This record gives sequence, C-alpha cells and structure tokens, in this order.
Amino acid sequence: MDTLSVEARLVERAKAQDETAFEQIMNLYADRLYNYILRMVDNAADAEDLVQETFLRAYQGLPTFDGRASLSTWLYRIATNLCIDHQRRRARRVPTVSYALQEDEDGEPVEWEFPDLQTPNPLDTVLNRELETVVEEAIGNLSPKLKTVLLLYDVEELSYEEIARVLNIPIGTVKSRLNHARTQIQRHVAAYLNDAPKHAGTPSASEGMDDAMRAF
Amino acid sequence: MRCERFERQLWAYVEGQLLLGQAQALEAHLQACPHCQRQLEVVRATYHALRALPRRRAPENLTAQVRRRIAKTPARPTRDWARVWRRVALAPALGLLAAAAWWGWHAQHLAPSPNTVAADPTESFVELHEQLELADWSPSPTPSYFISTGYTR
Repeated sequence: MDTLSVEARLVERAKAQDETAFEQIMNLYADRLYNYILRMVDNAADAEDLVQETFLRAYQGLPTFDGRASLSTWLYRIATNLCIDHQRRRARRVPTVSYALQEDEDGEPVEWEFPDLQTPNPLDTVLNRELETVVEEAIGNLSPKLKTVLLLYDVEELSYEEIARVLNIPIGTVKSRLNHARTQIQRHVAAYLNDAPKHAGTPSASEGMDDAMRAF
Repeated sequence: MRCERFERQLWAYVEGQLLLGQAQALEAHLQACPHCQRQLEVVRATYHALRALPRRRAPENLTAQVRRRIAKTPARPTRDWARVWRRVALAPALGLLAAAAWWGWHAQHLAPSPNTVAADPTESFVELHEQLELADWSPSPTPSYFISTGYTR
C-alpha cells in the first residue's frame, strides 16, 4: 500500500473520530513540520507552539478536508499560513536571531540530529558543519516568500506542484522564487568557499576556492 | 554572455533535470570554462548542504500537548445540517415571497380588468409581460426634485 492510500485511510479514520488515527498522523508529520516551522520562525519555543497550533487547526479542520490535496500539502499549508501570520506579528515587535545560535531552557547549546544516511555523509566534516552554518544563516536572511519556497523545495523536498498547491500560487511563481532564493544562498556559499566574500570566480578568490574544493 | 546561459542551467544539471542535449552542451562548456566549473561546485555544495541540513526531533511531549489543547477546545465542529438547510433555504424562500408579492401587486394594479385575462395561463403571462413592458416604470424626475435634492445630471 502506498503512502497516499495509508494516509487517506488514516484521514478517514480520524474523521470518524478515531483518536489513534489522528495521533498517528501527528507522529508521521511532527518532525517534518517542526523542522520546517523552526527554520521559518527561527525560534524553538515559537516553533513548538506553532506546530501544536498546526495540528490543532488540522484536527478542527478535518471535517472539511476533502482529500483533494494530499495530507502533507494540507498540513504544510496550515503551517505556512501560521508561520507567515507569526512573522507579521513578530515583525512589529522584535528583531530576529538565528536559531542556530540558540540555547535550550538549560542554557545548553541545542543538540542537532543528523540524517541517518546509509552511506557515510560526505558533508559530515568540520568544513561542512561550517558550510551548514553558512547555509542556515543565508536561509535566515531570506525574505519570508523566498524562504518558504526554498525550505519546501530544497529542504522538505516537496515538488513544484505541491508547493504551488500549498501556497496557492502558479508553478511559474514557485520556480521564479526558488531561483531567486537559490541565487542568494549560492552567493553566501560562494563567498564562504572562496574565503573572500563577494566576487566568486575572481582570480584571487579562486585559489582559496580550489583549496576549499579539494578539502570538500 | 555564454557563461550566463550555462550558469542558469547548473541547478537543473545538478538535479538531473536537463535534457540530454542540454546536459551534453553544458558538459562541453564546463570542460573549457574554469569559471563555470567553480560555479558548478558552488551549486553542488549548496544543493547537498540544503538537503543535509541537521534536523531536530519534535519535542517529545508534542502530541500530548496537542491532545490537551484539543480537550480544552469545544467538541470538534460537525456539520449542523439543520442550520445549513435553514441558511440555504432562507434566501430562495425570501426571493419567492418577494416575487409573489410583486406579481400580486402588479396583477392587481396593471391588469386592465379581470375579464381580459385569458383562460390559458400562458396567454395571461404574455399579456402581463406586455403590460409590464409598456408600464412607465421610471418617470423622469420633476424639476422640483432637482431643486429639493441639489441633484444635477
């Protein structure tokens, strides 16, 4: 049975007030939504609250969920709308900091879980931890519109069609925003790899770049 | 100029989305262009870094918290069909009422006499329609109207 039909059955059961089915839906999507929201809002406490709110809204909206969109599209749409509302409210309050630098409630640096890949992760080196930090910071600097599309496509790995449905925008707009977002991220990565910000590909920068590439 | 065209294709190339001919043209260009080679490495590094970003586990008590919040909120709204039906039925019912009142009023005031109404209901409707067409529905405002309201055309 494929993922879609498993999910469709779960949704049907949840609609019929089967609480264990809704629990399973939460377990299926908790990590994905939490990571997505965390990168959207840059704050662990807010992310936790928003992921709870996402599930609460999903639960309340189940009777009207007709299955035309997939469950994941629907949940990402709820989460995205909540994040955008949250950012609008927060934009009127305080400046943001990158969650990569945050500490948990005990004052300890946050612990990250790395994907458990079957093959050794070629990025799992000191150099690549730095690269991750560069990328995280670059993501944090994107505008909400660009960040949403980049996270959904390149991090959460949704398709263009799914993102278009999540955001209710044409596929062409998804591609165009993704292109802009990637260009910005790429500029930060190029600057990091070149070890000489701004002018990727200049003769002086390219030597540092070559060293970094060899290490990579 | 030539590089710009190829640089735009680098992400699609890394994702394996280029057509065979496009990929071959790009590869031929890459062999001769150190600048685009470096750009390709940047794109490749960015692409993989994005997909390998560390992921945190959702807080352990997340589902319990959601359950608690669900329990606090009123019962899940189910569709109250009686209420929906009342809403749906109200508009046409009011419309019908208005139409009946309108028809009744005009039939009384505009029909020349009950004798002229034909026995065939179709004919009576045609007659009524003609009478309504001929009726003077929008008399021009009298000069006093313009004066009293200050309205000017």
